[in-house]
Order: sequence, then C-alpha cells, then structure tokens
Amino acid sequence: MTDEYFGSYIRKDIILYSLIVLFGLFTFRLFKMQILDNPIYKEKSEENSIKAVTVDAPRGVLYDRNFKYLVSNKPSYSLELIPENFSFANIGFIEYGISLDSGFVSNALANQKNIPAHIPRKIIENLSTPSIAWIEENKRNIPGIYLTVDLQRDYSFGIRGSHIFGYIKEIDSRRFKEMKDEYDLGDFIGYSGIEKTYEKYLRGEKGFEFFVVDAQQHKKGRYENGTNDIKPVKGNDLVLTIDKEVQKKAEELFRDKSGALVAIEPSTGEVLALVSAPDYDLGQLSSVTSNKVWNELSTDGNKPLFNRATMSSNPPGSPFKIITAIAALEEGIIDPSFTYVCQGGYQFGDRFFKCTHVHGKMNLIQAIEHSCNTYFYQLILKIGLEKWVKVAKEFGFGEKTKIDISEESNGLLPDADYFDRTYGKGKWTSGYLISLAIGQGDIISTPLQLAKYTCLLANMGRSYQPHIVKGYIDHENSYVPLSFPEIKADISENTLKVVREGMRRVVNGEGTATNIKMKEFEISGKTGTAQNPHGEDHAIFIAFAPYDNPKIAVSVIVENVGFGSTHAAPVAKEIIKTYLLKNVPDENLASLK
Amino acid sequence: MKINYNLQDKFDFSIFIPLLGLVLLGLLAVYSSTYENSSASNNFERQFIFTVISFVIFFVIYFLPSHTFRITATPIYILSQILLIAVLIIGRVTKGAKSWLDVGFVGFQPSEFAKVGLILFLAYWLSHKKHDINNFKELLSAVGIGFIPIILIILEPDMGTAIVFVVITLVMIFWSGIDLFGLFAVLSPGIAVFASLFGIVYFMITLFLILLVLISFRRDLFLSTTIFVVNIAAGFVFEIAYKFLRPHQQRRIESFIDPYSDPLGSGYNAIQAKVAIGSGGLLGKGFLEGNQTQLRFIPEQWTDFIFCVIGEEFGFIGSLLVLILFLILFMRLINLSQITKDKFSSLIVVGIISLIATHFTINIGMNLGITPVIGLPLPFLSYGGSSLLVNISLIAVALNIYRNRKYSG
Repeated sequence: MTDEYFGSYIRKDIILYSLIVLFGLFTFRLFKMQILDNPIYKEKSEENSIKAVTVDAPRGVLYDRNFKYLVSNKPSYSLELIPENFSFANIGFIEYGISLDSGFVSNALANQKNIPAHIPRKIIENLSTPSIAWIEENKRNIPGIYLTVDLQRDYSFGIRGSHIFGYIKEIDSRRFKEMKDEYDLGDFIGYSGIEKTYEKYLRGEKGFEFFVVDAQQHKKGRYENGTNDIKPVKGNDLVLTIDKEVQKKAEELFRDKSGALVAIEPSTGEVLALVSAPDYDLGQLSSVTSNKVWNELSTDGNKPLFNRATMSSNPPGSPFKIITAIAALEEGIIDPSFTYVCQGGYQFGDRFFKCTHVHGKMNLIQAIEHSCNTYFYQLILKIGLEKWVKVAKEFGFGEKTKIDISEESNGLLPDADYFDRTYGKGKWTSGYLISLAIGQGDIISTPLQLAKYTCLLANMGRSYQPHIVKGYIDHENSYVPLSFPEIKADISENTLKVVREGMRRVVNGEGTATNIKMKEFEISGKTGTAQNPHGEDHAIFIAFAPYDNPKIAVSVIVENVGFGSTHAAPVAKEIIKTYLLKNVPDENLASLK
Repeated sequence: MKINYNLQDKFDFSIFIPLLGLVLLGLLAVYSSTYENSSASNNFERQFIFTVISFVIFFVIYFLPSHTFRITATPIYILSQILLIAVLIIGRVTKGAKSWLDVGFVGFQPSEFAKVGLILFLAYWLSHKKHDINNFKELLSAVGIGFIPIILIILEPDMGTAIVFVVITLVMIFWSGIDLFGLFAVLSPGIAVFASLFGIVYFMITLFLILLVLISFRRDLFLSTTIFVVNIAAGFVFEIAYKFLRPHQQRRIESFIDPYSDPLGSGYNAIQAKVAIGSGGLLGKGFLEGNQTQLRFIPEQWTDFIFCVIGEEFGFIGSLLVLILFLILFMRLINLSQITKDKFSSLIVVGIISLIATHFTINIGMNLGITPVIGLPLPFLSYGGSSLLVNISLIAVALNIYRNRKYSG
C-alpha cells in the first residue's frame, strides 16, 4: 500500500497475529477434545447411539421327584402396535377381527400416549389361538401391528400346587426399591412359595441385544452384527420332592373340603404332597385379568390364599397324647403296664374333664389305641409341665420347621413362662395342664408340624428338616442335590416302640381308626379332633406306613367336619395307598406286608 | 510439479488451492450428512450444482476489468439496501427470521448480497481522497454506511449476520487509518454493550472507565460528550435489541453459559457437536462412518454444524487440515492487502478477510463449544447456495485484485 497512513504495518500485524492466536486456540481446543478427552467423548457417542434391549431369561421349570413336569413355561402372544406406522382407520377392523370390544384399542393407546410414536405399544396380551391366526393372516395388510412372544408360567400339568409353587408377579415398587440393582420395573419375581424361596435359582440372567439407534431412537440395525449381544441364561430347573401322583390325589381328595394335608418321606424329610384347601388357580393369576382375580381371591371368606398346611393355628388334639405318653415313659414316671380306670372322665377340683367313652381299665398302649382322655388327664399331672414341654420341644412344636417356603407360623407350645405371661404369675394351676395332655387348650400346631412329628415317630426319632426342593439342574444339565439339616428327637428306642405299637393298634387293633385298615400293609396312626370354638370341630389324623419300614408320614386336617377317624383318616389312607401302591404290580403287593 | 511463474504472477494458487480444498471437504461433509436422509434429499446434488455455478462466476469476476468494482460499488450497495428492505416486506420466514427472498424458482438471502455491497461501498468511501476518517463527521458517515444494513438485518432478525456486518465495518474503519481516539470512539460502544451483558453494575463501572479515558484524550468537549452519550445509548439499545431476539436465540446465549443445564433444549446442539468432534479422535471414524453424523444426532448438521462432520469422520487430522487451509487463505489475503497498490483494493481485501474470519471464528467456536450457538455458516463448507456463491465470488474479487495489484486504481 502506497498510502503511508498511521501505522499501517502495525494494523496488519494486529490482524495477522489475532488470526494466528485464534488458530492456536482452536488447534489447542481440538487437541484437547479429540486427543486428550477422546475416550470420554467416544463413550458418550456410543451411549448415544447404542441401545441395549433386554431379553428376558426363561424361568427355570419345576419337576416332581420323578422329573415329571409340574410347572413349565409357555409362549404368550401379545398384539403390539406402532402408532407411527399405523393407520387409525384400521382400529375397527382389528377389534372385529380379534373380537375385542369397540374402543378397546383406542383405550389401550390412550393409556400409553406420552411415548414417541415409533415406540411400540402393547395392546392386548395372552391372545387366543384364533386371534393369533387372524393377526398372522392380516398383519401384512395392516401396517404397524405385529405379534410379540413372551414366556409365561404354564400350569397345565394336572396339578394346582398353589401353596407349594406360589405365584410370580411384576415386581412392586417396594421390592423394586430394595433390589434396584438386580431388577428392572416390569420384571417378574416370585412372591410366595417355591417361586419366592428359590427366586435366585429360577430367574436366570437377562440377556441384552444391542441395537444402533438414531437420535429419535429408531433402530438402525444390530450393533456390530450382534457380536456383543449377551445371551440370556435360563434359570435353574428345580427338582421338587413332590410326588405328582400323590399331590394330584391329595388335591382331588380336598376338592370339596377345607383343610390341609402334608405327606413326608420320614427317612429324608422330603415333602411328597402338600395341600391347603381351598386353593386357587395359579394360571389365572398370571393372566391379564389378574387384578380382578387377585381382588376376588384376597377378599374370599374361605381364604384360598392362606396356606393352611403351614400356617393354620389349631390345637393338635389327640395325636398329642403320644407326647404325654412319651414324656411319662422317658421320665420313668410309669411303665407301659401302668393302668388307670376310665369312668368317662376325670374330676379335677370343681371341674369335670370328659372322656369320649367309659373305657374302664386301660394300660398305656390301650389308652393310645382307644384315645382315652381320662388316662392322659391323670398322667400329665404326674409328669408336670416342664417335662412335658421338654418332650414336645424334642419334636419341634412351638417353632418353625424351617421348610423351604416362607409362609409358615410357629404354632404355640405353652410353657410356664407363657402361662405366667398370659394368666399372671401364680394365677394358674395344674388344672391348666389337663387339657394339654390331650392336645387341647392353649397348644397350637400346624399340619406341617404334625407331619414332621409323625416322621420322627415313624423313623425312630431321626429325620431331616422338611423340604420341598431336592435339588436343581445346573447349566451343564446335571442334577445338583441340595442338602438339608438332619433333625432328631432324643427319645429312647424302647419308648418309641411302645407308642408306635399304640399307633399300630389304632388302625390294626381295636382302635379309633380301624375303618382304614388295609390288607396290603399296616398303617399306624392317631386320630384327633381339634376343638373349634367357631363351629364344627376339625378332624385330624396323623399316620405313617408301612409300620415296619415307614415310607410315608401324613398329617391331615379336615376343617369343620367333626371326628378324625370318619373324615381325616380315610384321606390319609388314600394318600398312603396312592404312594405305596403306585407302580407296584399286584403280585408284589404281598412283599410290602 | 513445475511452477509456472508467469501464471503464479497472475493467479495466486496459495489462495485458490486452499479455497478448492475447503470447497471439496465441504462437499464430502455435506454428502456424508445428507445422503439417505429423507429430510435433506438432493442437498448434495444441489450443493454440487451451486459449486459449479460459483466457480463459473468466480472466473467471470476474476477476468473483470480492474475498475469494475469502483464503478459498481455504489449501485451494488444501494441495490442491496433495497433488497434488504424488500425482504422485510415480502421475505420468506426460515428458522424464525425473515431472511429469504424468492425470485422466480430460486430463493436467496439479500443479507449475503449486502455483504458484497457493504465491503465495496465502504472501501470506496474510505479510500476516497475527500474523506478523512479522523474527521469526526466523516467517521460518523462511515459508521452510518455500516449501520443501515445492520439495522435492516437486526429487523429480520438475524443477529449472527448483523454481528458480521458490525465486524466488517469496524475492521475496515480500523484499516483506513483511524487514530487511537477515533478507534476508541468506535470501539467503546462495543465494550459498553459487552459490559451490559453482565448487568447494570458492570455497565456503570465500564461507563465510568470510558469517561476517564475520554477525559485523558483531552479532546473537544462536545465531541467527547457525544461519544459518551453514544456509549450510554449503545447499552440501552442493546438491551432493546436483546428483547428483539427470538426466544430460541435468547436461550442459545443463555445455554452457552452452561450447555448441560438444558441438555435436550438449546444446549443439545452444542453438546452433540462436541461429542461428535471429541469422539472423532486422531484419525476420525472414517468417511460415512461417524455415528453421531449418520444417526442424525445434530439437526441440520449440513449447515452450521458441518465442521462436526469433518471432526467426527476425519478426526484431528481432518479438522486441523480445515484450520490450516483457512490460515493459509487468511495469511495470503493479508499479504495481498499489503502488496496491492491502492487503498480501495486493500480495503476490499481486508473487508473480505474480516467477513470470512468472523464466520470462521463464530462457526468453529460454536462447534468447539467456545462461543454461543449463533447461526452462522462456515464459509466454503456449509451447505447453502447464496453463501457459497458470495464467498467464492469475494475470493474471485481478491484474486482479481491480485491480478491487477501492480496498477494503482
């Protein structure tokens, strides 16, 4: 420039160096972002564009002790709809095609409206086969609709097992808060029974499929062709101790009854059958109408959700006379030949305690056989509360059996502390003990406790903690047994022999349950009646068989029917028969004797 | 390669080759960000055609006689002001601004054309022997030449482009030989406006400092008072102008302070742009392989965020190449402003530099998250016909000046 005006070179340099400084600033910034901070941005960019879609793991199935299906999974088809691709003119056609009420689809859409239009909405679950067929035929002509498949519990194997298996439900907000790290909202989780206790085995591990998505979350394809996908791991299948035939029989026997049954293998503690009646249909609970079903079940006066087998609180009745007998023998208070004379009852102070009959002179075994109250009224007064409680504790009364379902109650074994607390110190007398001798009064037990007690009687004081699951199938497809603690009632063999003889005679002698005597093998048992202040008494029966080599111990309670031998004993007999005579050819029946 | 010194004497390849490189990189980036994109279909084809047309016009301008610009400066300026008024009346609204004028089947932005008008006319005015920039009235006239299009563009409202006009006007006045007092008189309102952004207290303190400086110059009292009043007015005018900004533009300025405060709103583009560039790394993810770009995380990336495409797909190397090409272009243009024989040409070249450099600074700055998101395209690279044609034409003007640099006009 020829014009030599004010500092023209300085002006040039100001512009030049400003631009060079700018260049340096930008270069530094680029270096910082693209080289130094690259890992951070790279991760953000990948998070941006990769969407993980969870793939639910199939829940482990349940087998019975002979690997027969009890609970499995079945596909459930749902209709989904993507509004973005869908023409609303087709709504009527769809509703007509799969027999929905008019407005159903619009309602379903209205409930999920605050979601982007390209995200699928679930319209209806558990489609019937004709609906599935109709959608398959017509989906090509109706853009935006398609079928999805989920796995659902399949309970169609002939038994209900409501209180054994328990139900699964979508996780509620309380449980979700506790287990945020392990579960997502919408996940199913075991709420009761085996499904709850063994949730960790059954649920498996979720898988993930990675998709590349754009800014609007449209799927653009699999991320790296699915090579990073994580396959779901199926849950462990459980092998239950339940015998499907026995369980089925037990459920049939209780179809019109209210009550409970627990059958256990005495040598192992394995629960062969467990019924609480009335029960409920697990299949219904897992369907779309489950809320309605749920409300009906939870307000039903017959309490179908309540597990009577492990939670019902009734006095055990006469089966507890055996505890009294054992206490007397173990403490050396009497020997088996000791006799009382029954004149139809026992006068204690100003109160008369009744017996069922006038039994006359009875020794201990006869007293068990005939269930003579008078004998045991007097006997417990000789024993005293403390020693009696000690024996009852040996058999686990007053505490949980720790069976592997969490719905269980303690029952109640009243001791001196209990009486002090309840009636006041020094305000109760030995008269309070008299009812306990025959399993009435303040004592409470569950059918499961009685079954465990029967196991210990059957197996000479040794058994295992009652349990419903034997083991599981691991991911290499091999069976892994689970172990459970041994339990013991520290009672001498001689004592047990005496009371077992009494129990044998209940059925096979001249006792109270001769109506269930069988020719193939000897059942030993004890009848009972739980007094019910609210109505008809509950019939109780405990039994084990065969007498020589017990394979099954059963406790039965039939509510509101009266005396045990008439109503509970035949139920026990049918169960024992079903279990012991199963698969036994007729010519070999003799060998069981 | 054998350099034809005779040809280099007529045609500065150090300007032309960076221009060509930038245009080609731009075409690649436009292709990458728009192919298979239904909302921007044919954008690449259109940009390619614009490029061809622009280079035809480039050579037409290059071969124009040297006195053409001097003759056409005034008519172009007047015509461009008429078009700026026209667009306010019959313009088409795009992105909240009335900035497009449809002529037949083509639409163009009069503000782009007005840049040429301003540079040529201001160069003409400032280089005229009669006008002494250090005379206060002459200075006011020069400022007024810039002020007319600035006001018209603010009315559209297109704040980004208005900023470019302000910078062009200031830099050209600066270049024309203004003394320190004049420079201070022109620049101080800008400082006052900037201070007003931070609230009344800072504005008052700044005004006080300006007053002190004015007193220290010991100039004519009336003049100093006028300048001080202008400063106060500038602050208030800006406040009013800020209210003229569309809510989305106001939010952009606010979100610049903290883009993560509203990651899905106005800060969204800034964040996604940074993620795109940052994730590119040293060598980039490869052409058509950038997931931020290909998955459309940045809306209308082919216009203001074209630099992200380069940053993501060609990495640090590619981004640096763009910066270097621009730097070479600037250095050669600054060189040209020195070697040309007459003041008019020199001022035109400086006007061109300030235009391109302002776009460059604001655009790259916002892509890198340094400056607010102000909608200004990156010269030569961003999609857009008007802008490409005007920028390439201005380089043609510069090369025409280079061709005639030895003859004083």
